Amino acid sequence: MVPHKQVKAHRTRRSIEVSALKQGTVVDHLRRGTGLKVLNVLGLLTEGAVAIGLNLDSKRLGQKDLIKIENRELTQEELNKIAILSPEATLSIIRDFKVFSKFQPELTDEMEGVVHCQNPSCISNNERIRSRFQVLEREPLRLRCYYCERVIPSGEIELL
Amino acid sequence: MGSTSDPAQSFVGRDVVSMRNFSNEEIVHILDLADRFESVNEPLLRGKILANLFFEPSTRTRLSFQAAMARLGGATIGFADAAISSVSKGESLADTIRVVENYCDIIVIRHRYEGAARLAANTTSLPVLNAGDGSNQHPTQTLLDLFTIRKIHGRIHELRVAFLGDLRYSRTVHSLIETLGRFACDLVLVSPPSLRMPSDILDDLAAKGVRCREEFDPSILPLDVDVLYTTRIQKERFPDPLEYERVKNAYQLDRQSLNVYSQTVTVMHPLPRVNEISTDLDDYEGAAYFKQAKNGITVRKTLLSILLGVA
Repeated sequence: MVPHKQVKAHRTRRSIEVSALKQGTVVDHLRRGTGLKVLNVLGLLTEGAVAIGLNLDSKRLGQKDLIKIENRELTQEELNKIAILSPEATLSIIRDFKVFSKFQPELTDEMEGVVHCQNPSCISNNERIRSRFQVLEREPLRLRCYYCERVIPSGEIELL
Repeated sequence: MGSTSDPAQSFVGRDVVSMRNFSNEEIVHILDLADRFESVNEPLLRGKILANLFFEPSTRTRLSFQAAMARLGGATIGFADAAISSVSKGESLADTIRVVENYCDIIVIRHRYEGAARLAANTTSLPVLNAGDGSNQHPTQTLLDLFTIRKIHGRIHELRVAFLGDLRYSRTVHSLIETLGRFACDLVLVSPPSLRMPSDILDDLAAKGVRCREEFDPSILPLDVDVLYTTRIQKERFPDPLEYERVKNAYQLDRQSLNVYSQTVTVMHPLPRVNEISTDLDDYEGAAYFKQAKNGITVRKTLLSILLGVA
């Protein structure tokens, strides 16, 4: 009789193992519900190898989303987008399976090509130029369009 | 006025796109310089060329810049309608500016899109003056309004100012209100609900601690004010012509309506007026709207001179 190998179900620990990254970025502690939005605004839904975890247990947040992006480090524009969607996020840059650096995305005082100005009469929506915004307040987030000077409260911010 | 002073020197080559780019001290410096410029009609700007780029119609602002330039011996080129510029052929604003900057020393721009003057200023190293960008800013109007208020009241701080009429689309009001708020003025905003001040501007005023209240009944004029600033209510803003007629009449100021005041109230209007101010107010002691038009030349002469470094 072939010995039967018993597999135990780990019901007490909810974890999902995803193979370790050799090179790339881990975006951890994403506010629950923002993982897919982050994938979308970073253009990762259709490009590159990505692993995503949704509604994972988190000591800090209760529940969180997490993204592992292979062979890619993020630009400042992309960091700004993450900082707007989920300011609590933690980013780890992985090089050769090791954490090379770990940081939280910080919004720059001014950002270009990150947020869409919702004012249809803004010149940024009518000429071939990149949108540009200045951060007025960080908590709660308030942005002013550099061109039309309209102020956008956090609930109405639309990422490009 | 051959003498130079440090405050004037700090303006050389700068743009006048938004009042937000000027500190309170700088605004006061400009008004001080304007006091000196009132009687100056010397050829300080001889050999200088102003490009008046009016992509939207204007009479007062365009002619006022042209007159200011002429008074100081300079020349003006430009157009008064986007239809006759190469924009009608599909040229971008940035390209228009890159071409025009070769023809002039300073640029004045009015445009229907908000932020157009900012884009123009970023495109050229020449000084750019915003003569109105959509419903956003009209800084030279604001400076001439402040100049007028200061001449009458001796100060621009801690005044009580009421705005009446179209507060939603009036760039003149948007530009002025933010600046008066910075000078600790108390503000009363009287408008039909459909033409009330945009919420982002109200929020901004609140965030800065500006004392500001809204009223929607024009039949009760606020009594505790030094200045009544009225604006034109535009027919095209109302889908229902009957609603326009009702509002238009309710917001008309006449001699009788000012009887509620025990003191002389300064009545201002950026012009053109249609029905908002009855002609029977024209000889009222506090009527300041034609003085504003006159002061516009002084303020624009000042700005052109300091930006071109001849003050």
